[in-house]
Amino acid sequence: MIPHAPILAIVLPLFAAFLMPVVGILARRRGIKRAREWFAIAAVLVELVIVASMIPALREGQIIPGQFPVYELGGWSPPWGINLAIDGLNLFAAVIVAGISALVVIYSFVCMERDHGLDQYYTLLFLILAGMMGVALTGDIFNLYVFFEIMCISSYALVAFRRKWQSIEASIKYLIVSSLGTSVILLGIALLYGMVGSLNIAHLAQKLPLEPTSAIIVPLALFVTGFGIKIAMVPLHMWQPDAYQAAPSAVAALFSGATATIGIYAMVRVVYTLFGAFAIGIMLAVLGLVTMVLGALMALAQRDLKRLLAYSCISQIGYVLLGLGLGTSLGIQGGLFHLFNNAIYKTMLFMIAGAIIYRVGTSNMDRLGGLWKNMPVTAMLFGVGALAISGVPPFNGFASKWTIYVAGIEAGQPVFTIIALITSALTLAYFLKAFNSIFLGQRPKHLSDIKETPLPMLFPIMLLAVLCIVFGVLPQLGIDIVRPAQEAVMNSGGYISAVLGGA
Amino acid sequence: MAGMTVIVRTIARLLFPFTFLFGAYIVLHGHLTPGGGFPGGVIIAASVVMLFLAYGIERAQKRVGFLHAEVLESVGGLAIVVLGLFGILLGITFLQNVFPLGTLGQLFSAGNLPLLYLGVGTKVAAGLILIFYAMLFAFRGGEE
Amino acid sequence: MDFNYIIAMLLVALGLYCLLLKRNLIKIIIGLAVLTDGIHLFLISLGYRSGGIAAIVSGEMFSDLPGFAARAVDPIPQALVLTSIVINICIVAFALSLAIYSYRHYGTLDPSKLRRLKE
Repeated sequence: MIPHAPILAIVLPLFAAFLMPVVGILARRRGIKRAREWFAIAAVLVELVIVASMIPALREGQIIPGQFPVYELGGWSPPWGINLAIDGLNLFAAVIVAGISALVVIYSFVCMERDHGLDQYYTLLFLILAGMMGVALTGDIFNLYVFFEIMCISSYALVAFRRKWQSIEASIKYLIVSSLGTSVILLGIALLYGMVGSLNIAHLAQKLPLEPTSAIIVPLALFVTGFGIKIAMVPLHMWQPDAYQAAPSAVAALFSGATATIGIYAMVRVVYTLFGAFAIGIMLAVLGLVTMVLGALMALAQRDLKRLLAYSCISQIGYVLLGLGLGTSLGIQGGLFHLFNNAIYKTMLFMIAGAIIYRVGTSNMDRLGGLWKNMPVTAMLFGVGALAISGVPPFNGFASKWTIYVAGIEAGQPVFTIIALITSALTLAYFLKAFNSIFLGQRPKHLSDIKETPLPMLFPIMLLAVLCIVFGVLPQLGIDIVRPAQEAVMNSGGYISAVLGGA
Repeated sequence: MAGMTVIVRTIARLLFPFTFLFGAYIVLHGHLTPGGGFPGGVIIAASVVMLFLAYGIERAQKRVGFLHAEVLESVGGLAIVVLGLFGILLGITFLQNVFPLGTLGQLFSAGNLPLLYLGVGTKVAAGLILIFYAMLFAFRGGEE
Repeated sequence: MDFNYIIAMLLVALGLYCLLLKRNLIKIIIGLAVLTDGIHLFLISLGYRSGGIAAIVSGEMFSDLPGFAARAVDPIPQALVLTSIVINICIVAFALSLAIYSYRHYGTLDPSKLRRLKE
């Protein structure tokens, strides 16, 4: 692996974000075209290499005390200094984030070319990447909060990026709801600090009593509420469809793939590693069920493609929560695998929505139709995504949903499995409706000279579609990827002893 | 904004160097006394914003343009990151202190802390001026 | 002596009230600021000890570090609050510029009137 990879993974996007305005100014002075875009692509690819270089080190041993997986900032050892602790779960989230961001930056090359102020766009994109990387890799709870806020503030700004009335309205809603959530997280951290007097996650986990007392339940509830807002768990979801609809499609793809993953990661890390509270898992599972059913029902009623995808995103997060909440090893495996798959096909579907907006100018399904003849490749890719998300066998959605169904029955909750199956059928229903009204049916006259999606935009979508099929045909491959993360969730004692050096 | 009356302008002009100096003092003594990069940067930004308010945005923009502030903000951020990278290159970990520590209580001491505060102060001051500009542009409806 | 905590939680409650029930964007943003300030007060109070001294080592205290540690207040919450204040400034600044934009687009600061997306 590259030495210092954990910190470089956080610093590189920050560096790129600060350098981006300078690059933009220089490019304008010198008249170099597209300098920002190429710089962004280069930076994000380097980031991907850095994150990927950490995988072999983790494969060799689960988590090694001392040298590498625990990276001490400034040479201060935990619990005094801030440290970055890498185990299977962190790396799993970091790999998803880096991969999705790389594809989104490549996709933005064409998708955003008609917008002004791309300096700011790429700066914010790298800031949100730095925030997500920070949340994924840090081992300090306050540090996690700070990076979470960096991620949130950049995402408000990205939603409002086009400064039209839609984006302003969505951004205001998002900002008010989400900053309430982050304040709540800060309050939870303050309560924990008052109780234990430490901020290191491993140290906190060691000091907190295993039996949940009433004093612990308050911060736990605060954390679940705060992160629940970020992942749009159902009673707290109202900001999400607006934000996804109003944000530029590339940004919506990033949110649905990467930011939601980070929200789930933070939730799992805090609930399972920090509190060791497998007991509240069943509550998460119930919330997941409600989220999944409500999301699917709302999606059925939508007339706008991006809004439909946003509701479907809520519904899919419900599956992940259901799997994770079951608390059994198979359930956690299924939940994490579904998180991985969700990042793949949800990003892909949002990118396709962006491609349609790029060519046609609207994502309102009433005004679309018959695009099959104009954009056959896009239609096929949309079909792959829709089948994958509905859990139809040869695609990856089936593998992870099946794992969750089996886990539900094994955990003695067959009702959960039945509800999940019904929701799956609902998912297929609304995606068929969407496919039908966009690509089939009567083609309006003004749509007759629409061209196929440009190739640079099609490339990331195709890559994701290939991944959908690969993980569908070879589910064992996906389960191998998920296994270190699943073991990390189950084994919080290993995390503690790795960070604190066997103490 | 056309600026304010002569009294306000004169007082703003008289106060500006002192406010600016006070901000700079707080930034530079960040490792010795309470304060540091952020409060000092805010005071520096406040001194500049005071001039903006007194003289009107058009004249102020000639002194500290939008572009200047943007570049300064980037430079401040880059300085922090580069100082951190020094730790990797010359020491063992990120942000590790590699500069001589000096004696406790002196201005030139504490290794990389004063330099870090300088970076933070620059970034905060420039960033707040940028925020001020952005809000003004939002009011006027101009392109940013 | 527990006034700090009571007032901190009162501030949090007040902030929540403003955030959830007020019908003006500026008031909502003020509510947000009050809410975070309540949390900051709570954090600072956690590190306070009555009759404590500032956690800055200087001059004569350098010779008696254990005695200094026994009297100084906890500096960590102060660092946390400073960080959180910076973050809060970013949020408030951004929220205020959004409020300006919303006034330009909608001619109102009432968030309940910002519901064109639902239609």
